[in-house]
Amino acid sequence: MTAQTGLGAVAVLLLGIAAYVSLFASPPDAFQGEYVRIMYAHVPNAWVAYLAFAITFAASVLYLWKRRPAYDHLAHSATELGVLFTGLALATGSIWGRPVWGTWWTWDARLVTTAMLFLIYTTALLVRGLSDDPLRGARLAAVIGIVGFLDVPIIHYSVVWFRTLHQPASIAPGSLKIAPPMLLALMLSLLAFTVLFMYLLRLRTSLARLEAGGEMR
Amino acid sequence: MNGFLRAAAVARKDLRVEWRGRQTITATGMVALLMILLLGFVVGSEPARAAAILWVAMGFAAVLGIPRVTQGEVDQQALEILLLYPGSREHLFWGKCAALTVMLSALLVALLVLLGVLFGVDVWDHGGALVGVGALGIVGLSVIGTLLAALVLHVRGRELLMPLLLLPLALPVVLGCVRLTEAILTGTAAGLWPAVLVSFDVVSVLVCPILFEVVMDEV
Repeated sequence: MTAQTGLGAVAVLLLGIAAYVSLFASPPDAFQGEYVRIMYAHVPNAWVAYLAFAITFAASVLYLWKRRPAYDHLAHSATELGVLFTGLALATGSIWGRPVWGTWWTWDARLVTTAMLFLIYTTALLVRGLSDDPLRGARLAAVIGIVGFLDVPIIHYSVVWFRTLHQPASIAPGSLKIAPPMLLALMLSLLAFTVLFMYLLRLRTSLARLEAGGEMR
Repeated sequence: MNGFLRAAAVARKDLRVEWRGRQTITATGMVALLMILLLGFVVGSEPARAAAILWVAMGFAAVLGIPRVTQGEVDQQALEILLLYPGSREHLFWGKCAALTVMLSALLVALLVLLGVLFGVDVWDHGGALVGVGALGIVGLSVIGTLLAALVLHVRGRELLMPLLLLPLALPVVLGCVRLTEAILTGTAAGLWPAVLVSFDVVSVLVCPILFEVVMDEV
């Protein structure tokens, strides 16, 4: 069994445990009832998305500095996974918001920032795909990966202040006091999703490497 | 010839080309005018809406106008020659950026006058402050715009990618300018918005010229 398959097996095992604890072993919330269980899927998605974009940023800087293809494969893979998990975070957030907030979407700062991230990094993938040659695509995607990540805090605070002048901030899920069994479920889910992400990242990176090798031949 | 003169030469060339044809400024001006007329008609032309409509129009005009700065060079196959001239690519960046700032500022002044006429807002008394706030925003838009214009140059479907890149990345500029323009027109406190615009400008000014050289590598 290779290290990769081993990592995948650990991810599946952890996901199984996290699913059991989240769905059965943890109590329902006093206010949200059973709906709180959506959090155990939503928060890890968002966390992994941010982690992926941080990795994209670091790998992009390294690629532009050292120009080693391995960094580009990592940046490309992390961007793709980041976009996927951002999409999942937006979808699960919407599903959670409907019963709890009574609306599919609210103009909360986190939601708008996440939607902007989704657009910026989707465009980075588009730019890479639509470039004349793969090397240029890699360079341009790295530039967007850097600018986008540095822009995130400014976008976030501008969106926060734009709305707070008009209406009180919406209920932020993170500010809820959390009971120990629920915290355990959340931490397990975070761990499981992180390991899953690492596994997918490794898989996607080796695929990118093989693709690049195939093109050269 | 030092860097400043080099950048000034590029800016002067860009502005002269634009002055002779006046295509970019006419096209972007028409788009901005159209946006203001449409939005003013659809959402209503109350003075309270003026700031938001002005900066949405500016944003879309920028999306259209900014790629033209480098597109003109490619159409005439002039970019390679421009890059062959001695001197750093950073000077080229600042030259293009300066030309863009001048064009967008001219557009802003024209739109402010239009806003005073169409929306009945008092732009005349606050002209200096409005242009000052606008300048803060326009610097940010021009700096990141110059980088993005170079970035989409060799990508298929660049007209589609420009709005997708510029509007999310420059969102803080649009939001900040909307709120600051509102604050000036209604005489309320500006809050932290000048800090948002200044930090956007500072980050862009520090990062974009470096990345421009990366983008212009091996054209």
